[in-house]
Amino acid sequence: MNKLLFLALTAGCGAAWAQTPATNPMPDGSRDMYVGLGVQSAPRYVGAESRKVTALPVLQVEWSNGVFVSGMSAGMHWSENPVFEYGPLLAVHPGRDESGAGRTIGDVGITTDLSGFIASPINKNALRGERLGGMEKIGARLQGGAFANYYPDPRWRLTGSLLVGSGNEHDGARLELGVQRLGVVADAQHRVAFSAGVAVVNRHYNESYFGVSEVESLRSRFPYYDARGGLQDAHVGVRWNWTLSPSWMVTSNLQALRLLGSARNSPLVERSTNVTVSTAVAYRF
Amino acid sequence: MRCARRLLVPIALLLAAVPAAAQLRAGEWVSYRDAYRAMVRFEKFGGAKNLLVSQLQVLPAERGALGDGARLALAGKVTQLNLPLDALGRTVLPLQKSAYDENAALVLNRNGVPFTVLPRVTIAPRTDGHYDSADLRAACGQALAYARYVDASQAARQCAGVRFVFAPKAASGVRLRHADGQEQLLAALPGAAFGAEAEEVVPVATWRFGTERAQVTMHDAPLAIVPVFE
Repeated sequence: MNKLLFLALTAGCGAAWAQTPATNPMPDGSRDMYVGLGVQSAPRYVGAESRKVTALPVLQVEWSNGVFVSGMSAGMHWSENPVFEYGPLLAVHPGRDESGAGRTIGDVGITTDLSGFIASPINKNALRGERLGGMEKIGARLQGGAFANYYPDPRWRLTGSLLVGSGNEHDGARLELGVQRLGVVADAQHRVAFSAGVAVVNRHYNESYFGVSEVESLRSRFPYYDARGGLQDAHVGVRWNWTLSPSWMVTSNLQALRLLGSARNSPLVERSTNVTVSTAVAYRF
Repeated sequence: MRCARRLLVPIALLLAAVPAAAQLRAGEWVSYRDAYRAMVRFEKFGGAKNLLVSQLQVLPAERGALGDGARLALAGKVTQLNLPLDALGRTVLPLQKSAYDENAALVLNRNGVPFTVLPRVTIAPRTDGHYDSADLRAACGQALAYARYVDASQAARQCAGVRFVFAPKAASGVRLRHADGQEQLLAALPGAAFGAEAEEVVPVATWRFGTERAQVTMHDAPLAIVPVFE
C-alpha cells in the first residue's frame, strides 16, 4: 500500500518531465483528485544561473476507467497488472522565451520576429539584460507518447516514458528512464520517496532547446552552436508527502538535474547543475 | 514583494488545513481510500482464491496496545461503521463506493495509539478443524499465486508449509496423522503470526510440507492459517 500513497501526489504543474501516478483501482464511477497551490523556486530555464520563484498549482486526478491527469501530463492506465503499468501519455512541454521557460510573450522586451531579416545591425550589448535575448521563442508544445513502469518489488519502481512533439518543429523526442525508491516512512502520515533517472533526446530536441542557429547567433550574445542528440541529463530527487488528514496534504519536492553531453556544452548553459525546490498544500476531493 | 505575495496563498491554504487536520491526531487514522486500494486488489485478482480470505490488519506502533475490544471506526460525513478486530488485529474491510467517494477515515478506538494497516491473505479455516495436506498445499499455492500477482519479487519463492496461529490461551498444538498411520504432534510455541515486530505474541505451530500425505487435526480452532513461502 505504501507505493500507492507515495505516488498519490507525485506531480506538480511545474515539473519538467512527465509523471505518471500509480495504478489506482477504485469503485466504478469514482475519482481521486488533488488540487492545491504552492511555491516553486527553479532556474529561469534549464541551464540558467538565475532563478525565479513562481506560484505552483498542483493538480492530480485519476478516474476509475484508468484516465489520469498529473500536473502537465495526462494518460491512461491500460494494464490491470499491479506490477506493470503502461499506457498512452500526453504532456505539455513548457515554452521558452527571452526571459526563460514558461513565460508568456507579453513579458518579452525584445521581439523575435527578425527571422530571415538580419540586415539590421543588432547591438548585442543591449541584449545582455535578457538572458535569452535574440533567441527564437519556443511555444508550449503538446507531446504524445507512452509510458511503462515496472515494480520489481513493491518498494521499487522502474519508470520509462517516451514523448514526441517538442521543440520548434514539433519533432523533438525525449526518452526518460528512472528508478524510484518508495516506502521510506517516518510514520503513517509522513512518506518520503527518492528518485533518479536519465533523459535521452534526439537531435531535434537539443537543437531547439540548446542549439544556437546562425540567425540567432547574429542577433543574440550566443555563438553558433550545433547541438546533437544523446544523453541529455541525469537527475535525482526526493519527495516528502505529509498527510495532515484524509483531505489535506503538504507535498514538498527537491530535484537536482545535471546536464550532460551536447546540452551541457551549449553556450546557453550557465550552470550545468540545476536545483528545483517546491512545496504545496493540496486538498484531496 | 512579488515573492511574498506568491507565498501568501499557500500559507493561507496551510492555515486552513491545520484546523481540519487537528480533528484527527497524527498517526491515529488511515485514509479509507488508501486501505481500499490495498484491499481491492484481492477482489480483482483473477486467479483461484476460493481457499483464501483477505483481511486488513491493524499494526499499532507498540506491541500490546490494541487489547480486547479494539475496533476500527469507518468514519465519513455519512458513513459510520464499526469494524471489530480479532485477536490478531484483523478485520474484513467493506469495499464501499460511498465511503470511498466521501474520503472517509479509519480511526482506532484507542487514544494515543498510532498505527498502520496492512493487507493480509490467509488460508480460510474449516469449521470441522480437519485438514487434508493436499488441501493445505492447494491453498498455499493459491496464496503464492496472489503474492506473485501483487509482488514480482515473490516469483522465485515456493510454498514451504503453513503456520497455524492460535488464540493466546489455546496451546494444544496440531496433530498430524500420516498415511502410514503414525501420528505426530506439532507443539504451539510463542511467535508472531505474520512476523511483524509489533504483532502480539501468540501460540503458533508451523508445519512444513513433506512428501507424504497427512491429515491435520487440532482441538482449538486457529485464528489464522498463514501460508509460509521460502
